[in-house]
Amino acid sequence: MSQLLHNYQYAAAMLLFCIGLYTVIVRRNIIKKLIGLNIMETAVFFLYISLGYLNDGIAPIRVGGADPSRMVNPIPQALILTGIVVAVSVTALALALVILLYRQFGTLDVDRLFRDEDEAEAEAKAGAEKEGAA
Amino acid sequence: MGTTLNLIFIVLMVATALLAVFARDLLAAVIIFSVYSLIMALMWQRLQAPDLALTEAAVGAGVTTVLFVVAIFKTRRREEEEEE
Amino acid sequence: MKRIVALVSMMALLALLLYVVASMPTMGDAGNPTNASEITKYYLENAEEETFTVNVITGIILNYRGYDTSGEVTVIFCALAAVLAVLGREKRGKIYAFADRSRVPSSVIVRTMVAFLVPFIILFSIYTIMHGELSPGGGFQGGAIIGASMIIFTTIFGLFESSQRIPQKIRFPLEGSAFLTFFIVGVLGLLGGGNFLTFAWPNISANLQPAVALWLTIFLEIGIGLGGAMVFISILFSMIREEEDVTAAA
Repeated sequence: MSQLLHNYQYAAAMLLFCIGLYTVIVRRNIIKKLIGLNIMETAVFFLYISLGYLNDGIAPIRVGGADPSRMVNPIPQALILTGIVVAVSVTALALALVILLYRQFGTLDVDRLFRDEDEAEAEAKAGAEKEGAA
Repeated sequence: MGTTLNLIFIVLMVATALLAVFARDLLAAVIIFSVYSLIMALMWQRLQAPDLALTEAAVGAGVTTVLFVVAIFKTRRREEEEEE
Repeated sequence: MKRIVALVSMMALLALLLYVVASMPTMGDAGNPTNASEITKYYLENAEEETFTVNVITGIILNYRGYDTSGEVTVIFCALAAVLAVLGREKRGKIYAFADRSRVPSSVIVRTMVAFLVPFIILFSIYTIMHGELSPGGGFQGGAIIGASMIIFTTIFGLFESSQRIPQKIRFPLEGSAFLTFFIVGVLGLLGGGNFLTFAWPNISANLQPAVALWLTIFLEIGIGLGGAMVFISILFSMIREEEDVTAAA
């Protein structure tokens, strides 16, 4: 329990990840799901950078006689820089697909997008029966 | 002092994330998401990562938010659909 | 019903993750497995001598781990290609749709401030790109800032004005410049007698090596910055552009 209180930043990252995952699962609008996806991604980056933190550390820039043994770990930062770029590329592409989806179907609600096939079949069947009876 | 500031930032981050998730109006959700991005950029500075703070500030508040706003404007949806 | 099931599973997942956190080593401890590894010490101590950059992170992403950065610029270029495949580009010499020409109604104060600020933001982004190895910054940060400044300009002045400033014939060749720069530097490394994408050429004398490494680093930064900026601007223009209505434009 005291270890959990010491690692409060990891716990915060896990909490944010679960909030993002809840949004992606439960919300019906696609743009809300994309916001949830972004929250999940930033929570993972937060966890990763907190792993490399050193108590009373300084930024890894060797200027003015900075002491290399007090610097925080630079490797997670280099990896997460690439991660942030990939996250923004995925968001941009997903938003372009959202615009195309709206132009094609006129709605952004996932339930309606998935229900349209069954409803169209039921309407077609009801229309055919009416024609057969008339 | 250091721990208190970190805790304040973390509480603000969780609060804005929850508000962005539960906002009905999509435009309000996106603006709250840009505030979340800003507080995350400040958090990177607290973790002694200045390159990441620059990148997150430029990308989160500059590019991602505006792309979201353009997508909302194009799809002409101001309100989210009503839940069941 | 779905909400209650989702909420309960989220609580279970959160409890499991917090249990894992409780058994992780303490944060910030100097004896952590991540902080006490050999490669961290090697990078921190030898980055300035071997890569001749003061910023250790720039030395890592451009010199020690250059392949990963070339993969990153490929990802961003693929995102642009996919967005253009989905939404389409404006054709050359085509009359713009009427909605693109109309200005966004905004007050004189906003327009003056934006027209005044945009050159300074672009100047700041050029500074960030060129100082990538001396201070926090780098190629990608500068490219994102240029993209953000053009986004502000497009929002206030309309798509037509900003397409005049950065027309198709400038954007078209420069979008792929990020990966092209990496390829050129890689081939130069081969010609210099070493491996692909190396900065230490054995074919030239030892007192020219710092100059060669610095010039290649700056060349890479400019390539990444320019390519990233053009990618963001092109994505924005594709998304903002109104659908072409042939009868209205004719």
